[in-house]
Amino acid sequence: MGNAFFVVWRESLEAFLIAGILYAWLQGNDSSGRGKHALYAGLAAGAGLALLLGWALLSVQDELTGNALEAFQIGTLLVAAGLITQMVLWMRKNGRQMKARLHADLSAAAEKSGFVGVAVVAALAVAREGAETVIFLYGMSQEGDYSALIGGALAGFAAAGATAWLAAKSLARLNIALLLRLSSILLLVLASALFVAAIDRLIGAGWLPPMLDPVWDTSLLIDDTTKAGKLVADFSGYRARPALTTLLAWAAYWLLVVIGYRRTRP
Amino acid sequence: MKHALHSVVFGLFLASTAAIADDLPTYKLLMKDGRIVPEMLEVPANTRFRLEVKNEGPGAAEFESLELKKELVLAPGVTRSLVFFPMKPGTYKFFDDFHPETGQGRIVAK
Repeated sequence: MGNAFFVVWRESLEAFLIAGILYAWLQGNDSSGRGKHALYAGLAAGAGLALLLGWALLSVQDELTGNALEAFQIGTLLVAAGLITQMVLWMRKNGRQMKARLHADLSAAAEKSGFVGVAVVAALAVAREGAETVIFLYGMSQEGDYSALIGGALAGFAAAGATAWLAAKSLARLNIALLLRLSSILLLVLASALFVAAIDRLIGAGWLPPMLDPVWDTSLLIDDTTKAGKLVADFSGYRARPALTTLLAWAAYWLLVVIGYRRTRP
Repeated sequence: MKHALHSVVFGLFLASTAAIADDLPTYKLLMKDGRIVPEMLEVPANTRFRLEVKNEGPGAAEFESLELKKELVLAPGVTRSLVFFPMKPGTYKFFDDFHPETGQGRIVAK
């Protein structure tokens, strides 16, 4: 029960957080309601994808399909990291325009492509972690432990939803400039964590050389093999023993983000 | 951009499948009811090897190690293999991410 609660909370928190931040931003910046519709559609599509991906992961037995799925999962990590980053820059640009021109003549095309981005980001967030939750819950249903399954899983979902709701509410309380800045930073840190995870999995699969591994060891400071440390690692991209390739990729990510951020400076 | 990305991932995937086909020393690991058997696995350092992970259930398990850069979700009853690249001598921790309280293990490369 306690374990089911923790696993479900952790697995669904990322998706809820992304949805919550997007919701808070749309609340402040888009009065047409179309952005929120895009968000809901994305979340629903993500749930469907999660079931599909969960089923695919369950039915894989042989190594070749296993590798294809690994490649696919790494691909979704990279695409999600890239899209979130692009969306943050889009939000920054459009938040600025909306402030300046009160949203009146924001070009319809730019708005539409931005909302498609919102939907895809939401869908990917739900699909990726949702697939693992599907397998975890499937495993519990095989155990026949339905009270723990339903109690733990529902409590986990609810807690993740509440955590994200709290985050979104506190964000929405801030003035619009601060809201924009904070939600951007949160999303970018999340995207960098996804990017680091993708690079690590590429190294783990032998598709990228690690170069120097590890460069240093900070496990005495924050040990990423503990429950709490793993949570920090999942959400920030922290690694106690990073490989040089991972470190360089992380630095390159932030360099590109800073350049992109300056270009869209209000 | 997306297309380029896909072709890179796919190309890497093709390259890796060729490397996996040969015979590797194989070690077995059992994940069972939130526990890992054996909790300590000794492997030769600087040698590629294969780890055959079996999840005997009853629940799902997730073999994960940030140090070893591996992540593998296993439904109950499923057996899958992971290929490890030559490691420096040392101790590497891994855990069952679905049972972080009880499922801790380590690989010792000598």
